[in-house]
Amino acid sequence: MIANAVTWARVKSPWVLHFNSGACNGCDIEIVALLTPKYDVERFGIKLEPSPRHADVLLVTGCVTQQCAERLKRIYDQMPQPKFVVAIGACACSGGVFEGNYNVVGGADKVIPVTAYIPGCPPRPEALMDGVVKLLNALSPPKPKKQPKQPKQPKQEEPVETPTPVEIKPIIEESKVDAKK
Amino acid sequence: MPKSKIDIIKVIESKLENKVQIQLGQLGKAVVVTNNGFHRDVMKAMVDADEYTAISAITGLDLGANLGVLYHVRTSNSFVTLRAEVPKDNPKIQTLTDIAPSATFHELEVTDLLGVVFEGNPLPGHFVLSEYWPQGVYPLRKDVKASEVKLNPPPAEDTEEPDMGRVVKIIVGPQHPALLEPEKFAVTVDGETVTKVEPRIGYVHRGIEKAAESRTYLQDVYLVERICGICNVIHGCNFVETVEKILKTEVPSRAKYLRVIALELNRLHSHLLTLGHAGLEIGYETLFQYFWRDREPIMDLIELTSGNRVYSSLMTIGGVRRDIRESDIPKIKTTLVDLRKKLPFYRKIYEEEPSIRARMKNVGVLKREDALKLGVVGPVARGSGVDIDVRKDEPYEAYAEIPFKEIVYTAGDTWARMNVRMDEVEESINIIEYALDHLPAGPFRVKAPRAVPAGEACNRVEAPRGELFAYVRSNGTAFPERVKVRTPTYANIPAFLKTAIGESIADVPPNFVSLDPCFSCTDR
Repeated sequence: MIANAVTWARVKSPWVLHFNSGACNGCDIEIVALLTPKYDVERFGIKLEPSPRHADVLLVTGCVTQQCAERLKRIYDQMPQPKFVVAIGACACSGGVFEGNYNVVGGADKVIPVTAYIPGCPPRPEALMDGVVKLLNALSPPKPKKQPKQPKQPKQEEPVETPTPVEIKPIIEESKVDAKK
Repeated sequence: MPKSKIDIIKVIESKLENKVQIQLGQLGKAVVVTNNGFHRDVMKAMVDADEYTAISAITGLDLGANLGVLYHVRTSNSFVTLRAEVPKDNPKIQTLTDIAPSATFHELEVTDLLGVVFEGNPLPGHFVLSEYWPQGVYPLRKDVKASEVKLNPPPAEDTEEPDMGRVVKIIVGPQHPALLEPEKFAVTVDGETVTKVEPRIGYVHRGIEKAAESRTYLQDVYLVERICGICNVIHGCNFVETVEKILKTEVPSRAKYLRVIALELNRLHSHLLTLGHAGLEIGYETLFQYFWRDREPIMDLIELTSGNRVYSSLMTIGGVRRDIRESDIPKIKTTLVDLRKKLPFYRKIYEEEPSIRARMKNVGVLKREDALKLGVVGPVARGSGVDIDVRKDEPYEAYAEIPFKEIVYTAGDTWARMNVRMDEVEESINIIEYALDHLPAGPFRVKAPRAVPAGEACNRVEAPRGELFAYVRSNGTAFPERVKVRTPTYANIPAFLKTAIGESIADVPPNFVSLDPCFSCTDR
């Protein structure tokens, strides 16, 4: 029962932390644009949270640089369980154009487990929204069908008891898909 | 204050006759070949003759047995390069920081990436690379393979800071609510007053200059654009202009106008972004939301004219990759008119709103002489009464044909710097409207040769944040031998270090954001 409430709260109002691990600001500005009047993701309850201690979802942008790798790992460790990581942009997904440079580690998944990938250089705000919504859908339990005579339907396992984030299938999202509102 | 009309080449010739060799017409107005020691004399002569003299950038070169050091110097009416060489086994050269303080950070970067030791530079240690970077490995040297560098293991425990009594060291970053990007500033405060700021950049250093050496010129256009996601168009433009200088390709005039339109749309969105961001930093979130609301139509225009919101790679060697559609011009114009109608409202907010005046007026004052000495560029310099704008000083593309005003404020505080941007928004709208009305007919692209002849060129343009500099050296192969980019934000860091001292810790965020910081530009 409590688990249901927690999942419900998490799905309805995920607090996200944004960490730039060496990005060019392209993705970062698009994330900030999500909060502004045109896209306004706060209407879905998504809130940008400055502290890792309060965050549910970590949005990572950028090819992870040598200096940031250690810091990214530390921020991930500071987040409370369960936690989810979304790699935003081609760089965070795989290293992008910077793959193989002397100061670059590569994609975010070389340092921390990543739940969902949103490619694009940078992904459009619509793609970002779609990616986050898909992540939330993956977290929420399937709705019980309207059969009042069978109230105790077995539900799927909920990801409350410290799942390793890799258990959730990576959601590959095309960068140019327009979100259907 | 009017700029001097001094011919700096004559000054150098008269003061250092026969000691230096002057090659006219290369890398700016001329290259002055200086043997060890004479670069200081030349610089001294230039600083004495012209108050606008500042080091714009320092390029390090790996020339085999020697390391080359190119000092790119900006004066009031020209741009010259001092060339010096040092042997690789003993790469020592005397610093210029005592003559031109603007050299400090540029010298540090060359030390970090190429191992040239500038004797007398006051700042020690790594500036761009990680603390754990192996000793004696300099990534921009040709014998260093990017994939073979192994970092030293980090120490197990962070060292504790000693107790300093009432003086407290506040570490801001790399992950911090006030910073959108990872960078570290150690701010020492005595009570509420800032006494020292130690910057530590390099968290976003991706090694783009080295990576550019292993890609073809055309691939580099896409790579160089990704230095910065905000002002990407100008980075692409600067690089292709530099390569066109080596190729001696003349771009058709329609392409020049189309480039100006793309550049000014980019400047519009960048300035609106910063004006809004300043609101966020002083806790005035409404202003932030308003500005970003009005920025979205500009993003739509960028998408309409170039094909994508952020990275469109419009610039290519020989012109632009796509023409503007005749049917789109009315939409562009109406959007710009809408934005212009909103500007008086924002002006009024910046002029009259008490919270803005309290947090920005007389905060972070950078005096004119300091601005000149530190070599700051762009709106930061123009907010302090220094009238430098590459679009006026050394017109590129179609800027020579387009009338516009150079915005200069003299107060030098945060408020003045933001108002420079506010007025430039209006000027950018005027420029785009003029360019659309006077768009020449003809091709928008010429076929540029794929093979780039051996040679070198440097170029500078006015990015939204100030003068952006690029240097490209070609050795006749398909790949450039050296690509150097000096971004305006890198040149503006000293301004923050200067203005933050003696102010309240609470004034650090608005002061800092008024420089329009962009660390992905700064670090490359």
